[in-house]
Amino acid sequence: MSRPMRWSAAALVVAAAACSDIATPVRDNFYEWRLVVPKATGTGDDSLSFHWPQSRVPVRIWVENALSLPDNVPNAIAAWRTAFLYREFDATVVSDSSSADVIVRAGTAPGTQFARARLHSALLPECSGSTDLDISDDHSQLRLPVRVYIDAHSDPNAPDLPRCLALTTTHEIGHSLGIWQHSVAATDLMYFDPAVDAPSDRDLATAEMLYHAPANVEAVGP
Amino acid sequence: MRKPTLLLALLLPAGVSGLAAQTTYYARLGAIGASNLLRDIIVNEITVRQSIAPMLALGGSLPIGARGYRAGLEGTLASGKFHSSERGSETDLGTIRTATIMLQFDGPMYRALRWQAGLGGIQYWPKDKAGIFREGGTFRFLAGAGIDYRRPVMPKWDLMTSLRYDWHRFSTAELEQRGFSQTQGVSRVSLSVGLSRSVVP
Repeated sequence: MSRPMRWSAAALVVAAAACSDIATPVRDNFYEWRLVVPKATGTGDDSLSFHWPQSRVPVRIWVENALSLPDNVPNAIAAWRTAFLYREFDATVVSDSSSADVIVRAGTAPGTQFARARLHSALLPECSGSTDLDISDDHSQLRLPVRVYIDAHSDPNAPDLPRCLALTTTHEIGHSLGIWQHSVAATDLMYFDPAVDAPSDRDLATAEMLYHAPANVEAVGP
Repeated sequence: MRKPTLLLALLLPAGVSGLAAQTTYYARLGAIGASNLLRDIIVNEITVRQSIAPMLALGGSLPIGARGYRAGLEGTLASGKFHSSERGSETDLGTIRTATIMLQFDGPMYRALRWQAGLGGIQYWPKDKAGIFREGGTFRFLAGAGIDYRRPVMPKWDLMTSLRYDWHRFSTAELEQRGFSQTQGVSRVSLSVGLSRSVVP
């Protein structure tokens, strides 16, 4: 190869390296997050997909001062925040429940006052949680606030209760950010009876994916 | 590259008394714009880009040889917002500060114009450790070139206008952890105005 050709080849290699983009990872490690419910009219099912729009981020969460919720909810927000590269979701704890998008209370979920769809989690024997979604009859709107209940079943001094409350809170915040389906893998925090303390890679990948997929349920109010 | 950089850094403040030469110091203020930091695809295409940011440049140079060539050290600081874009909507991702240090050479081009070229590094400092900077900032190697225009305004003082281009490849520890491979080529262009002062020992 002549010298000019060598230089030209080298220049081409440098130019190609200079212009190339970063290579994006393959994102296929997620599970179904949509809530499947019978169609509002006719037969068949609707798959409901929801995520908070940018105009509502950071999501406002009001937290009852009980069962370590004031500590556990910010930790749960921080755990889920790690899923996102582009600030798709964020949340903040607010002091006024009347303007909150999500209300987190201690205790058993009441009757079905707000629960058009209740995402109940069995969890450990020490505690349980549920997330109530008030979805409009035509399945197009989520009426706010989303209501989360964290319930302690055991003695307040039971050794595993703090861990159960922490992971249950993170699990329910996962529902409130849009993962409306339970994972089928016990290694995921969004498993219906979770045993892990933090969102798994699959949980985080699912949260990330759902914020870029089109939503067919829109948040309304308060 | 550290040794020549350190040598120049030591020589410049010393006024190079050993060299019968003119040391030049300068400061400039201007604006800098950059191409995409990142291009990602999650269902849709997402790009991350810095907004045009104010920039401060400080530097100094020494003559080398008799043909008007100089060697110098230049540092810049810039601070501005960065944002992501997806399907036409933008999301504010916070504030990012960048600092560069570059060992550079310049020489005469045409009348008051001088060319400039150099190598160095760029450090990204995010205000918040979140998103693509969740694991913190990053340091990357940098190459740059540009044109300076100098016009005397007072004895020993020149008005200096600089048009600069630099290039580096960008990635962060967070992106690497998430499986991004290779790096993104980032081009930056700055325009700045300032004063330079010559010191004759």
